Amino acid sequence: MTNRRDFLKLSALAAAATTGMPGFLARAAAQAGGSRTLVVIQLTGGNDGLNTLVPYSNGAYYAARPTIAIPKKDVLTLTPDLGMHPALRPLMGLWDGGRMAWMENVGYPNPNRSHFASMAIWHTADPSQAQSDGWIGRLAESIGDPFCASNIGAATPQALRASEFSLPSIDTVEQFQLKLPQGLGGAFGDMLDAARSGEAAFLTQATRQMMKNTARVQGGAQRYRAGATYPDGRFAAQLRDTARLIAAGVGQRVLYVSLGGFDTHAGQRADQDELLGTLASGLAAFHADLERQGLAENVVVMGFSEFGRRVAENGSAGTDHGKGSVMFALGSGVRGGVHGSSPDLEDLSDGDIKYRQDFRGVYAEALSGWLGLNAREILNGDFSGPGWLA
Amino acid sequence: MTLTPLPRPLNAEDAAHFLRRTAFGATDAQIRALVGKNARTAAREALAFDQTTAPGNPFDPMQGAGPGPTLQLTRGAWLFELVYGPHPLREKLALTWSNHFVIGTDKVRNVHALAGYLGLLRRHAATASFERFTLEVAQSPAMLRYLDNDQNRRGKPNENFSRELLELFTTGIGHYSEEDVHEGARALTGWTFEGGRGNQNYLEPSRFVFNERQHDPGRKTYLGQSGELRGEDIIRLAATHPQTATFVSRKLHRAFLADTPDGAAVQGSAETWRRTNGNVRAVLEELLSSEAFYASRARIIRSPVEFVVGALRTLGQPTMDAKALLNLTQTAGRMGQVLLQPENVKGWDGGREWINDTTLLLRLQLAAALTLGSKAPPLTATPSALALTGLERPPSAAAALKLNPQQATYLHLISPEFQLA
Repeated sequence: MTNRRDFLKLSALAAAATTGMPGFLARAAAQAGGSRTLVVIQLTGGNDGLNTLVPYSNGAYYAARPTIAIPKKDVLTLTPDLGMHPALRPLMGLWDGGRMAWMENVGYPNPNRSHFASMAIWHTADPSQAQSDGWIGRLAESIGDPFCASNIGAATPQALRASEFSLPSIDTVEQFQLKLPQGLGGAFGDMLDAARSGEAAFLTQATRQMMKNTARVQGGAQRYRAGATYPDGRFAAQLRDTARLIAAGVGQRVLYVSLGGFDTHAGQRADQDELLGTLASGLAAFHADLERQGLAENVVVMGFSEFGRRVAENGSAGTDHGKGSVMFALGSGVRGGVHGSSPDLEDLSDGDIKYRQDFRGVYAEALSGWLGLNAREILNGDFSGPGWLA
Repeated sequence: MTLTPLPRPLNAEDAAHFLRRTAFGATDAQIRALVGKNARTAAREALAFDQTTAPGNPFDPMQGAGPGPTLQLTRGAWLFELVYGPHPLREKLALTWSNHFVIGTDKVRNVHALAGYLGLLRRHAATASFERFTLEVAQSPAMLRYLDNDQNRRGKPNENFSRELLELFTTGIGHYSEEDVHEGARALTGWTFEGGRGNQNYLEPSRFVFNERQHDPGRKTYLGQSGELRGEDIIRLAATHPQTATFVSRKLHRAFLADTPDGAAVQGSAETWRRTNGNVRAVLEELLSSEAFYASRARIIRSPVEFVVGALRTLGQPTMDAKALLNLTQTAGRMGQVLLQPENVKGWDGGREWINDTTLLLRLQLAAALTLGSKAPPLTATPSALALTGLERPPSAAAALKLNPQQATYLHLISPEFQLA
């Protein structure tokens, strides 16, 4: 395993090497730095795992969900017991190619049914809720580079919060550049140079970091041409920007994209069907694009939601907040298949499935197996995963 | 221990500070008018607002050509009131409550439901009874729809509202059990609304109804009280819970004192809250005239809406055309704050969460557009450094010395000091 000092050197090398260098050279330099990328997909609101990876041979599933269960005939069969929601059809090619993994029954001890508490637990990788920094923030601090992970979107999630610096949010790559009005560059510099303390000092530092980050992205991102047609919509546009940043080879190890709206308390089928369609079509285009760019080997996608939902549907053709759920991963580096055993729907805890796989084990594999980092240091403990990487 | 009042009359920086926090910012003339006043008088006068609104609001949500346009107009109309309205503190409080009793236009798109909700936030902005406020919110079609209580029926409970009532609106997490959430949902069964349902009926009025047949009349235990509890009992028990005083006082401190409130000061307000049975006006009057309030400088990062409204109010409320104002609601959205649409029911986290590379770039662009751009509104009087930064001698003063008035205003608007209140 590479230690932290080596990574400091490597990321410094990648940063120096990518400035003003042609795209393919910059990419080669970044790859020499061990530059694999992890793309994290957050499904915000609590995605219903049972209607995502469907236990279609289980009578208890259909008994609990008379209105909203996915009929067996509609399920995309994966195994004799499990199949995908039909809206995930665009991902069938990846599944068939052995490049899609499902992690069954993932959760954490003492599950919390609050969106915010549970999301914070996934973001900090700390079920005791004592940590305030995010797991990706800690990852960035262990690499020592405030640009090695970015959120694609307007607001930075807690997962990317670090104590020493703030990791960037890039709303769109196109607009991620600083253009000061004519003749004011000097005054701007002088204004920032004045001594400050407290929140004002924080803002000065954030502005300086923004100036560095924008310069770095604009140095590499201009040459990208999408290698696939992305569907309409913001999620797909964010994935296109993710591909663009990866193609720019500016040294980002983790990119973070969110898709919201999964809090399906009422009329679940219409909402979740549409969201899973958005998810699948966007990810399929993203993967096709990376293949065309020759970058698919370097990228793994890992998806999660803050919790699954109650096994039984509620009275509004929806589901209330639950506990464990599924995770998924995509990419050439993934060991395709279903990892872990499915929940027992007749042995529930307060109406919810009992998780068997701690999500920190899934994170740990991404950190050590994919990114070559010290998972134990970042996650504050030893966690073993289901073996979802090839 | 209640909060100690500020013992001295307001000086210029005190007055500028008070107006940054309670009026989004102000012109030099407005600051001068407060200098020498007693802090209690200033707070009382600012809180003595009525329900009058700015004349000539160009946005009428009823004129929208579909659900999408009516939402745009609703946001535009609110921004107009925020910028030009006669009662900025009422609007600041309505904005604060919209981040407490959160609803979102992703689910609530009915024009009357939204107008009713916003009217409620304004009427109760400095409410004499937090319990009454909570009850009216709970029975508003906007909230019934947003947190699904309209779907909460006997034998088929939907606990979405019941959970958030405790977790986010009253006691906060850690002061109730899962059982309270279940039992609360049972008691709230049958609370629903009629009319204005569905995307097509966005112009149809709607009203709260109690559907007795869908109500679960059985015995329940909620927050330690047992009986055949009804929805009103649940609201009363949650809203008057001692912990609610602390939880909501803390939110007021976040809005008016600091992004990271001081625990002892919050306890001071919570004590006043309990003593007055949730009289928010009394809590605010004490808070906004306290020594702690005046000692807490530059500790709140202005939200995107506060940045936009603060810039325009400091520039003297220049006339903007309707299109430009609508664009500003969208700009605030790109900076992370769409009016009436927080990212989720917890609301905007605020503070440092407003700041990232993208939002900083947008603040810079907007400052340039308002001062140097070809369509920049004309500057009638150049605001002083005090009006812009809250400081008579801000750190950016030297850098602004050689610039013309528009450029100097731009530089102050992008300085860290302007981002803070």
